[in-house]
Amino acid sequence: MTLAIDWVLLLPALLPAAAMLLVLLVDAAVPGARRVMAVVAALGLAAGAATAVPGILAADERLTLCTAAPDGRCLWDGGPLPSTLQAGILLATLAVLALVSVRRVGVVDLTLLLASAAGGTAVVASRDLGTWLVTLELATLPVIALVAWRDRRAATHGALTLLTTSLVSFGLLVLGAALWVLGTGDPTLTGESLAAAWAAPERRPVLTLAAVVLVAGLAFKLSAVPFHAWTPPTLTAGPLPVAALLASASKLAAVGALVVVLAPWESVVGANPGPHALVSVLVGLTVASMLVGTVMALRQTEVVRLLAWSTVAQAGWVVLPLTALSAAGRGAAVAYTIVYAVAALVAFAAVRATHGPRVEDHRDLTAYRGILRRDPVAGGTLALALLVLAGLPPGVIGLVAKVVALGPPVAAGLWPVAVVAVIAAVLGIAVYVRWFAVLFGRPDDASAPVRPRRRRASVAVAVVGTAVIVVLSVLPQLLLGPLA
Amino acid sequence: MLLVPGAVGLWLVTGGRALAPATARVAALVAACVGGAVAVWASVTRPDVDRAWIPSLGVRWHLDIDGISAPLVVLTAVIGVLVVVHAWVEQPWLDEAKSTPDGTGRISERGSAATYLGCLLLVVTGALAVFAARDALLFFIAFEVVLVPMWVLIGRYGDPHSAAKRADASARFILYTAVGSTLMLVGILVLVTRTGTAALDELPSAAAGLDIGTQTLAAVLLTLGLAVKVPVFPLHTWLPAAHTTAPTAGSVLLAAVLLKLGTYGLVRLPIASVPDGFARIAPVLAVAGVVGIIWGGLICLVERDLKRLIAFSSVAHMGFVVLGLASGTELGLQAALIGNIAHGIVSALLFVVVGGLKHRWGSVDLDVIRPALREVAPRLGFALVLGLAAALGLPGLAVFWGEFLALVGAWSAAEHTGLLRACVVVAAVGAALAAAYALRVARIVWVGDAVPEAELASARAATPDTRGAELAVLSVLGVATVALGLVPMIVLSVTADAAAALLGGSR
Repeated sequence: MTLAIDWVLLLPALLPAAAMLLVLLVDAAVPGARRVMAVVAALGLAAGAATAVPGILAADERLTLCTAAPDGRCLWDGGPLPSTLQAGILLATLAVLALVSVRRVGVVDLTLLLASAAGGTAVVASRDLGTWLVTLELATLPVIALVAWRDRRAATHGALTLLTTSLVSFGLLVLGAALWVLGTGDPTLTGESLAAAWAAPERRPVLTLAAVVLVAGLAFKLSAVPFHAWTPPTLTAGPLPVAALLASASKLAAVGALVVVLAPWESVVGANPGPHALVSVLVGLTVASMLVGTVMALRQTEVVRLLAWSTVAQAGWVVLPLTALSAAGRGAAVAYTIVYAVAALVAFAAVRATHGPRVEDHRDLTAYRGILRRDPVAGGTLALALLVLAGLPPGVIGLVAKVVALGPPVAAGLWPVAVVAVIAAVLGIAVYVRWFAVLFGRPDDASAPVRPRRRRASVAVAVVGTAVIVVLSVLPQLLLGPLA
Repeated sequence: MLLVPGAVGLWLVTGGRALAPATARVAALVAACVGGAVAVWASVTRPDVDRAWIPSLGVRWHLDIDGISAPLVVLTAVIGVLVVVHAWVEQPWLDEAKSTPDGTGRISERGSAATYLGCLLLVVTGALAVFAARDALLFFIAFEVVLVPMWVLIGRYGDPHSAAKRADASARFILYTAVGSTLMLVGILVLVTRTGTAALDELPSAAAGLDIGTQTLAAVLLTLGLAVKVPVFPLHTWLPAAHTTAPTAGSVLLAAVLLKLGTYGLVRLPIASVPDGFARIAPVLAVAGVVGIIWGGLICLVERDLKRLIAFSSVAHMGFVVLGLASGTELGLQAALIGNIAHGIVSALLFVVVGGLKHRWGSVDLDVIRPALREVAPRLGFALVLGLAAALGLPGLAVFWGEFLALVGAWSAAEHTGLLRACVVVAAVGAALAAAYALRVARIVWVGDAVPEAELASARAATPDTRGAELAVLSVLGVATVALGLVPMIVLSVTADAAAALLGGSR
């Protein structure tokens, strides 16, 4: 079997992998050259993101890794949707790299970050189960190691939770993949093979089961309820930059993986009978995540835990447009996740700039009283990020993202989920405004944390992220255009 | 028109926080005046701005002013200037501890003046954008723009006596209105996804092809969402808290501008786009409006806090507006539009007076025995009486026309005639209630109680009469009240064509 390969399309995934090898080589040749290694890693990520840009802007199909005709199948999609996700994953990883202090970053951290980024960029573009499974695990496993890497008991506990979860999730994914192959007889994830198999009534239960099991496995990675239990302990126990990675790049990769799995189902959504069971499972995930995540976030006072629960709630918002099983829904989900990832990164960077990188720094809401006056840069960026997460102007892009996410289910007539989204949106405003309100007010010097000494990189990440938010708020088309 | 106050407002909130209050005030005033002047000019010349913004969502920067929005734009522009001028009178950014029990008289800054003024400007900008938007999604986004600045105004610059009250009122405000606007968003999305257009000009014809079920659904969602903002009877509970706690300028903006967003939205979205669906739920709305009139009136009879009282009278007045809208007649629609403007002016006038009194006395509890306002501060007293007389619907003053025409319009409705006529009768009783509570307030505050001569002198010292900027604000509002009452045609003639087109075009 020969494969027609267009290497240019593979570059977004290949460059981080190459950078990883280069980092290892440098470490072997000149041990201790941390700065060089960090620069190599950053360049690899930035170059990868740059090579994804043509894909974002492309109008025609960009498929590669195609098998020979007659039944030529392409295993790699470099179109706008995957390319946008790739750029997002790589830039988010770059931001996380900046949050990890350069002095402390070691070869292990760099290698793991780059491996995770390479896996993430590959999974969103893959179109066959083999690549999809392997790269999805490549995106996940290094993050577990990153959580555990710093030798602290709490972090190990968090990593163990994540590892157990990941193993269960992996088991489910393999089972789902096997069921898919059983149902369609085809290891590629395409609409044609699904539509052909769906025509046979006796295959429908197997296909539905395959999709449900795959979605369940991915729900772990998305931290959607009821597969979310690992999220709060892991995010709070691990280092702050890794928490930011889990909330941004990992989430983007998981959404990309979900989009790949759900895309074939668009071919049968209009069929009779349609994939009702799958839609109900997605609706259930959405509703549960939005409500549980928001209500739990309302009660938190530790800011990272609050952000962790809010990431659960936002997972519901991400799945919301996918319940419609339409191309518009896919685009909306990706757009929403990108906006969420940017805002979450800004929030984490601002938290990092306010406290130190450790868990022991009392990361409590009271530490933020009057921060807008005490520390306008960190406070201002955090305020805007919270408004984007809440979906309130002046964080216009957050509002637009909510509008975009709500559109497909309303168009598909999924009323229950739209009603729950209304409730969740309002509760969400309560969550973020609760924190936002603390930012105002009189500075209270007694509860103010000592400003960490090395925080230039965190402030830079927060400011750049805020700039992205502002630009997108003025011109949302920049994000939405390629995804439409 | 939007750019100047919006940009200056943003700048004041972000960059200019450290600015001296005096400079910030002048900058804000200039911005409000320029923005207001351009808004007035725009509502006369009616320019049409139409640019693509988010093509993939079909959202356009489509701004245009027609007969329905023109009076509201002018009202907003004038109120915008007045609230900024009012910053010379009341300075909510200063912490005034002189009226607290410990009486230390300590004055410290509790927030920056620039933020306060910036928020005022942003609210005005958002409101102008709502009135000018000709795109349903742009309308929604502009609708949301006013939320956060208003929340800051209430939560940060509100009643200095109780932080808990401020937090409660501001949280209630933002959550209630967020429920409303999200419901409205779902309604808008129903329309947009089913018709394929977000342009308000095209929606009526495009939505006419929808089946009645979808129309009703969209109408219910839109009306329910906007009813929170108006507010219509069972959804009004956020309003008194917000009004009581907000600084005077905030109350004025709330009453004169924000509530109008709700009624304007009702005219623009459900009534214009899905008239058949709206007609189905109109009786419910009419009943809710009438219940609001009675409920508000009854509470006003016993309410002790003067600011809350005015807030409840707002609920009652908006009941008349809603009744006019629900009648489905051209006259009713006209009544609603003029009622809107009149309520905006009169409630602004009353809130300035009452806010001024609260500022002077520290509280506006009606049970506290105070000397007659007419003796202590005759000019302020006159403004109060004028406002109350207008509020009770005295002919010759602004509110009269809105209430009268709403009743006539509802009486002559073509559909649901019996129910609407019953509503008219009950609403007329409500109007009598308005007279009762207005006279109650006038007796307590204006006529006052007999107090010894010595106390009178000290009261005079404690309650200086209005002058300067406050007097200017009051006189503009007072003149507008009388002018609109004597010559209602200045508004009616502008809205007539648009109202006829709205109903005619959709039937």
